[in-house]
Amino acid sequence: MPGVSATSMVRAIQDLGFTHVVMIPDAETRHLHQLLTAGSGLPVISPAREGEGVAIAAGLWVGGQKPLVVLQNTGLMEAGDAIRGCGVGPRIPLRLVVGWRGYAGAMADRQPIDSAYPYTEPLLQAWDIPYWLLMGDEQLDALAKMDRAAGETSRPAALLFGWAFQP
Amino acid sequence: MDLLAALAARRTDEIVVMTMTATLQWPLLSSHPLDFDFLAFGMGHAADFGLGLALARPERKTIVLKGDGGLLMSLGSLATLGRYGPANLLVLLLENRTYEMTGGQDLPPGVDFAGLARAAGVAGGGATGLGKVERIETRQGFEEALPRLLTEDGPHFIVLPVTNSYPLPAVSHTDHARRVRNLRAALAIE
Repeated sequence: MPGVSATSMVRAIQDLGFTHVVMIPDAETRHLHQLLTAGSGLPVISPAREGEGVAIAAGLWVGGQKPLVVLQNTGLMEAGDAIRGCGVGPRIPLRLVVGWRGYAGAMADRQPIDSAYPYTEPLLQAWDIPYWLLMGDEQLDALAKMDRAAGETSRPAALLFGWAFQP
Repeated sequence: MDLLAALAARRTDEIVVMTMTATLQWPLLSSHPLDFDFLAFGMGHAADFGLGLALARPERKTIVLKGDGGLLMSLGSLATLGRYGPANLLVLLLENRTYEMTGGQDLPPGVDFAGLARAAGVAGGGATGLGKVERIETRQGFEEALPRLLTEDGPHFIVLPVTNSYPLPAVSHTDHARRVRNLRAALAIE
């Protein structure tokens, strides 16, 4: 099965010193969420919607913490005003891990292509949010690259993953 | 404005996050390094931002001044407050029943904001299990409640019916990144 090991991802998140995970899980991040909440030691906050989560993460960062936001691309779209207002505009380095809904279907050429698929990269590009791909354990260092870019530029940065996290 | 004046008179070292109409009125009463103007940071999300700040800085109270229209834009946040709200978060909902800063339209009539907060689990909830929801109808009642609201454990969600009889100054969009830098500096971060 393609995809990243949830265990490896949790370890990478811990190694980079994240203090909180603000997360709305989906089918692809179910295992990641289970691991994070079952003893990772990281507080996991699950808001009702993604825009809310982005604002919570911004408050955490302004208060001196280092949150990671995990959301699906549809949630990225929902959270547009919050990402603009709580990230891009005020130069708050939101670290975003974005599930790329539609990616697996598009790679398999399954029709119809999920409409969330084609707009994800252009949306990040429109906000000038740099992003890295995370499609397997061999690309896990992309989390550190994304983290470093956000810190160095004091702007949001993102990681895009296309496959479900594996148990 | 009178309610905000009462708060300003009592406030000491709390963080105050304000949005919408309160961003025009609070600066007339307060110039404090821990004031944070959330205007244009994301419609409806001031209390969410305040929740993050309160979680990040448990040693001091975070007070959020927001409107009822903004709450309708992010109603789900009440459930989040009911689950995660920490002891040091005080949300003051300024209930003017209108989207005063934007289109000026009335809110849907009959919305019971304190009732919504109770139904979302804020009363007896939050991370502490000590969440409180109150509706305070008068300035005197607010002044009497303030010493308690500023000291006891919450989270608190307080509905304050307001009318505005003071002319509002013009909106001033100061640099958003500077607002962030100033608050972090005031909190001795970086």
